[in-house]
Amino acid sequence: MNSIGTIPKFSQAADEASQSDIDTPFLEVRGIHKRFGGVHALRGVDLCINPGQIYHLMGENGCGKSTLIKIISGAQPADEGEIRINGEPVTSLDPLGALRAGIETVYQDLSLLPNLSVTENIALSEQLVAADGKLARSLDLGKLTETATRALKSVNLPTDKRFCSTEVAKLPIATRQLVAIARAIASDARLVIMDEPTAALTKREVDNLIEIVDQLRSRGVAVLFVTHKLDEVMSIGGHFIIMRDGEKVQEGDVADYQKTDLSFWMTGRKIDVVRYRTTEIGAENLLVVEGLKRRNAFADVSFSLAHGEIVGVTGLLDSGRNELARALAGVEPADGGSIVLDGKSLHLRRPVDAINEQIGYVPEDRLSEGLFLAKPIQSNIVAQILDDLRDKFGMISKIRSRKMAERLVKDLQIVVADLNNPVQSLSGGNQQRVLIGRGLTIAPKVFVLHGPTVGVDVGSKDTIFRIIQKLSSQGMGVIIVSDDLPELLQNCDRIIVMRRGRIVETFNAENLEENTLYQAMVAENSTGKQS
Amino acid sequence: MSDFTLDGINGGKGESQISRIASWMIRYPPIFTLLLIVIVCVVIGTISPEFWQISNIFDIARASVVTGLFGLGFLVVLAAGGIDMSFAAIAGLMMYWITTAVAAYAPWMPIPAIILLAALGGMVIGIGNGLLVHALKAPAMIVTIGTQYVIHGFLLTFIGTELFVNIPLSMENFGKVELMRVGAQSGSIAILPAYVLVLVVAAVVTWWILNRTLMGRAIFAVGGSADIAERLGYDHRKVQMFVFAYAGLLAGIAGVIHVASNRLANPFDLSGNELNVIAAVVLGGARITGGGGTVIGAVLGVILITLIDNVLILAGIPSTWQTFVIGCFIILAGALFANSSNR
Ligand SMILES: Nc1ncnc2c1ncn2[C@@H]1O[C@H](COP(=O)(O)OP(=O)(O)OP(=O)(O)O)[C@@H](O)[C@H]1O
Ligand SMILES: [Mg+2]
Repeated sequence: MNSIGTIPKFSQAADEASQSDIDTPFLEVRGIHKRFGGVHALRGVDLCINPGQIYHLMGENGCGKSTLIKIISGAQPADEGEIRINGEPVTSLDPLGALRAGIETVYQDLSLLPNLSVTENIALSEQLVAADGKLARSLDLGKLTETATRALKSVNLPTDKRFCSTEVAKLPIATRQLVAIARAIASDARLVIMDEPTAALTKREVDNLIEIVDQLRSRGVAVLFVTHKLDEVMSIGGHFIIMRDGEKVQEGDVADYQKTDLSFWMTGRKIDVVRYRTTEIGAENLLVVEGLKRRNAFADVSFSLAHGEIVGVTGLLDSGRNELARALAGVEPADGGSIVLDGKSLHLRRPVDAINEQIGYVPEDRLSEGLFLAKPIQSNIVAQILDDLRDKFGMISKIRSRKMAERLVKDLQIVVADLNNPVQSLSGGNQQRVLIGRGLTIAPKVFVLHGPTVGVDVGSKDTIFRIIQKLSSQGMGVIIVSDDLPELLQNCDRIIVMRRGRIVETFNAENLEENTLYQAMVAENSTGKQS
Repeated sequence: MSDFTLDGINGGKGESQISRIASWMIRYPPIFTLLLIVIVCVVIGTISPEFWQISNIFDIARASVVTGLFGLGFLVVLAAGGIDMSFAAIAGLMMYWITTAVAAYAPWMPIPAIILLAALGGMVIGIGNGLLVHALKAPAMIVTIGTQYVIHGFLLTFIGTELFVNIPLSMENFGKVELMRVGAQSGSIAILPAYVLVLVVAAVVTWWILNRTLMGRAIFAVGGSADIAERLGYDHRKVQMFVFAYAGLLAGIAGVIHVASNRLANPFDLSGNELNVIAAVVLGGARITGGGGTVIGAVLGVILITLIDNVLILAGIPSTWQTFVIGCFIILAGALFANSSNR
């Protein structure tokens, strides 16, 4: 254990830190304030990070978690407050300064450079920091590949040349998330911050991440998670910090508390894990999918959906569930099979076909497929129904747009200061609600929700689930494509499990055990039955 | 193993031959440019066999030098997400200053010193561009169109559009140095001037900067997303200064080469060349929105444009059709490469 120079030092520091509080923490922030125009996003937050410890920063959407992270990583300056690294006060922290101090961050938006290769995204930072930000340096290509390969291995991504030289923009979102994680652990970090790193990951990848975190901790590296997933917090353990409205309201050791305690502090109210499903489903079939297929994605997919029914679709990343969702929305059309809605056979070639047939869609990746980030909230909400909003002169009616947006913002309890602000000024969870709102504007008969609560806090999840249930009670058919198993169990009538592009099992969701569902997802033999 | 397979993303096996070639070209845009060059050569060569002469190739090479230098500069600025519309004006200004100043005060000055002087001068104006773009936070296109007009206005006011007649001897001689001389059957002689090496050196240096230095990667990083690059510690300001300075430097050199090769020159000769250069770089596969492009692509793009400019006439195609053909190629390139940016 003490053959490599730096490691013993770290682990020693970690031991001392846990023995006594006299030792200086790695990072200390005090009295941080941050305002965005009228929004007081952080109101005097203190935080203390010790080496070799794990921290979970939690709180409702918009409580200021990401803002705090950006300040610690030098991406945004604080308006007030003090930052100390290794006990030394830091007057102004810029991104390079944070990296030099060993603070690595996986941002909520991943902050990958879309046009650079996987290798470059992972390993360039190391050389930039070594050059102290000076750019007149030649690249060390050998080291670039070496660092990237090592990091890719630890997140279980391929290390072949073809993958390494792929532009990040061409990768699916889950892979991008893993690349961002690989970047953070590529060099000798002292603190790794991950803002909702598991949002797009499946359970297997999450397990792998937890293993990585364990290794980091044993080397004396501190890890700060920002998360909404209470189950993950409970299973990883460590220290938790809960924020509400820009202030720290509670902190402590995860082991000393229950899940319900945490969610109580986050929301200020009690939320029980309930099964939301109440509606009786209709007798007639609303949607019948027969033998649907898309090359290299899925095949032989048949299922039906009744009026008012909620069907879940789950599976691992390569199961074809994501592609199925996109095919139902006309984003990546199926190349065979039939989709019949209300007795009418549909040909969904483009997203607009699905919109015209009143199939609503909430995409999984709100950053790249979903929202016009720099455009106003209102325009984002009404983006799919512009034709309906025209007045008699063919102009988009401002008043009707506004009414529509205001109604949905109220229904979905989206926290907005002004409908004309750009969507990117909203917190992650509120952006997600804008996306759901947009899907609802077309009055869908069938609503395809692809990861509807990714990055959404427990309180808002509750809200979104209630909305989904209400919609289904009005006769809407809902398809939830997700890898959040509790979410499916709480909301669905039936759950379809896909593996390697095929449906392998269909469960009745009532009284179904999460573990049964999970086993069906990961099972290796494909001798599944269908009901 | 992981859940991830590349086949799922890139379409995988079983594609038709055509779509394979198309996706190959999307991944390596210079292939497309090369293909167009081959097509143009074959078509012209079939219509008029005298196209296949060494002198024609030398002509193309000679005519590519100035456009090529501009193209390389433009590529670098474009890669960083900027646009430079002032290179021809910078070249014109340097052409005027250096030629008249050297002729009047230092006619003994050797050519390397003259080129160095022009490069430095162009660089200073380029830095001015960079400072303005950064300080005003204005779109680079607007700022550099402004610079272009200011320089033109200055030149018009002080010298008008007269030709230089008094050219320093070292410049004149430099234009005459031969790299290669080939005698054709017809008895005429084809000469490849040595200054084509300037373009070769510039291309190699640009390639090295873009692909083998941190600055090069920072240029693409900023061009891909300036916000994200800054968050990751790249110095946006430094990158901006560098790309405009570099484009200015190449423009300055291009100005001197233009005088040396033509012996008769006027500072406005190169103006109006801007769109041609942009077309060349775009045909070479660079992304007009920034963050993409290769040196080999830009050079091939320049060769393609020069080819069309110079030899269409051989095939009996009226020169008015040159612009038409270039336009069609650009639209074709646009259609092909537009699909490369999304998934
Ligand atoms: N650039 C900005 N301009 C204006 N307001 C902003 C900006 N960035 C954040 N805010 C506001 O600051 C508050 C805190 O946002 P932040 O992104 O930190 O929330 P969060 O806790 O990360 O939420 P989530 O869990 O939804 O990601 C929100 O009200 C948000 O609207
Ligand atoms: Mg956030």
